[in-house]
Amino acid sequence: MTDWLSIEGRSITRRDALKHLAAAGLATAVGGCGGTDEDGTITLRWWSTQGAPAQRAAYRAQIDLFEAAHPGVRVVFEAMSDEGYATQLAAAFASGEVPHLITHMPSFAVQGYYAHGLIEPFDDVIEAIGADEFYPGANDVYRAADGRYVGTSIGNTAADMLWIRRDLMERAEIEAIPETWDELRAACRAMQGGGIYGAPLPYGLNSANSLTFIGFIHRAGGSVFTPDLEIALDQQATYDALEFYRSMLELCPPGATGYSWGEMLTSFVSGATATGLYAGRVLANVAAQNPQIADSITCALYPRMSRDIPAWTYNDFPCVCIPSAASNKAEAKLFAASLFDPAGYIPQLHAAPGHVLPVLETVAENPAYRDNEIIDRYPQEIDLMASAAAQGYNLGFETTAHQPNTKAGEIIASNAIAEMVQRVVLNDENPQAAVGNTVTRLEEIMRS
Amino acid sequence: MHSDPPPSLEKRYARIGVVLIAPTVLVFCAVILYPLISAIYLSLFSIYTPTLAGEWVGVDNYTALLASGDFWNAALNTLIWTVGTLMLQLVFGVAMALLLNQSIVFQSLARSLVLFPYFLSTVVAVLVWRWLFNDLYGILNHVLLIAGLIDAPVNWLGQMPNAMISIILVGAWKYFPFVVIVVLARLQSIPEQLYEAATIDGAGPFQRFTDITLPQLRDVLVVVVLLRAIWDFKEFDLIYLMTGGGPVRATQTLSLLVYEEAFRLNRMGMASTYAVAMMLVLLGFTLVYLRQTNRLEEG
Repeated sequence: MTDWLSIEGRSITRRDALKHLAAAGLATAVGGCGGTDEDGTITLRWWSTQGAPAQRAAYRAQIDLFEAAHPGVRVVFEAMSDEGYATQLAAAFASGEVPHLITHMPSFAVQGYYAHGLIEPFDDVIEAIGADEFYPGANDVYRAADGRYVGTSIGNTAADMLWIRRDLMERAEIEAIPETWDELRAACRAMQGGGIYGAPLPYGLNSANSLTFIGFIHRAGGSVFTPDLEIALDQQATYDALEFYRSMLELCPPGATGYSWGEMLTSFVSGATATGLYAGRVLANVAAQNPQIADSITCALYPRMSRDIPAWTYNDFPCVCIPSAASNKAEAKLFAASLFDPAGYIPQLHAAPGHVLPVLETVAENPAYRDNEIIDRYPQEIDLMASAAAQGYNLGFETTAHQPNTKAGEIIASNAIAEMVQRVVLNDENPQAAVGNTVTRLEEIMRS
Repeated sequence: MHSDPPPSLEKRYARIGVVLIAPTVLVFCAVILYPLISAIYLSLFSIYTPTLAGEWVGVDNYTALLASGDFWNAALNTLIWTVGTLMLQLVFGVAMALLLNQSIVFQSLARSLVLFPYFLSTVVAVLVWRWLFNDLYGILNHVLLIAGLIDAPVNWLGQMPNAMISIILVGAWKYFPFVVIVVLARLQSIPEQLYEAATIDGAGPFQRFTDITLPQLRDVLVVVVLLRAIWDFKEFDLIYLMTGGGPVRATQTLSLLVYEEAFRLNRMGMASTYAVAMMLVLLGFTLVYLRQTNRLEEG
């Protein structure tokens, strides 16, 4: 993607696509609709769940590049939270006061909104970026039932990697990184002590618990839904995962019963736990906040119940999408496409190195992308996360055989799965009863 | 040609009265009546929040509410939270007001500082308290560990009954200054002669408190209890930010349930049903409050 305006040879070239987008933008601007000031300046609102200081600086640089190339268009960045985006968007959609661009929201949420006509088809933006520059199949997760794309990923994230301290492994005489649950439990038990806990699994009543636990069901050989979206929760894999989760509680800090993503990250980075479960942000945070352990950390695919069960990585496929009720959609699409321009995209990826991984193959191969201290220091970890994320899944896209689940966003937001985990692990309730209760709640959501 | 007689003075005054009261009535309709009727109306539909598209379901939502374990669980939690935090607010508030009513050093400064929790933003207060309660780095666990009172960090917010106790304590800390303000104002208006007479009659400090102070505070405490009960009953932000309603649903109050239905499950109709149920309970509180204030005015 070195010259993204000049590739020819497709039915619609990017140049054509951009021309069409620009023409439509002009028409919209002339028509004068919401988001346009009295002096004709168009203001685009950009909402994202990723707003760390370094990322904001990178976004600002991308905005500056876009505004310089498009006088009369102003972009305002507004952060939302991982746990709160559903609420904010529900209110925004209901009131009609929607942003022009949403990024870093999980793909399944986008599918759900699109099913209700709340999201704009994204095919032309993908075409403008260059469909053949994405990793093969990278946009499959965004293909809706009508065959159109509802968004694309701004990056990939291998969200549930196993992070582990080699120095603690050595001290506990553990030779190999755990690959199975039994090995992980034994390793955590051996490394726990002296104020260091084994693992920071999330047991809180939140999306982190739900999203993480779904991975454990898959790593026990099961799934939440069948490929044709019948609820499949009442199966042995779920009970095995619950039993494993329960057995790990004694190896987690006491407050893990309320942990979400932030606490999971902090506990490993600070050195309070010997292992971690998180995405690549660990690397930058360790470098900045706890450099003493920087040479000791590494990551691996999270262990599964047994070696004959394939690995399963949670990738939330952080999205780029445009609400259908947004004004100035053409400008929004132009801006969305501009986010993938290497001049701004690579610094954006470098703002969270290893955390947000490139979705464009051409960028991943770009020497400028590899030219980063963190990426240079942890090449094996970055490559492993990149390949794991590329083959990753989430509740909206459990396997390649599954239909897109447009209710996944509501299922996660309902905390039904997190509540099931809490009932079994914290309240010591009968697993069959807890699973049965959850199945009923999932049925209600799927029917609604 | 027949012409109507000019309206009487009384009728003209009546018309002027209508004109004068019209703005108030309009504002009342816009901010009270319209939302109220809207909520009741929405509760009769099944509505997807982001699109506000829905279909008529009649009283099905109310039937579901009454049959829902979540509603009764949340109602019980709301009751426990409201009673628990209110009791502590009263105890702390009255005790602090009595202290601040004495001649103490830096009285003015103390009176100002005691209001601090009440004026602090709930979000900021919760962030601080969550940090204090933190299992790994919280000062609370740290102090208890150093003092040898515990062997391992206490899980303050992630298990029961700790979670409910914690939010009740934080709620009491946040809102007791309101009780202090009101009670202190009343204490300052109790005639000093009553205490002097009781002292001459041989009454000790405890008797003076029970026989003079408390009876004098009774009316104001009734109003404080009713107002704080109404406000605590519908508390949302503090509980949501502290525990999110967990663990499981052990601290989920009715306000959190309304929020979950409206914005997490996108069921605005059902959320309105819960809100109407809450409103009915609050209406009961309000009626008692109005009756009490009328009685005070008449007295």
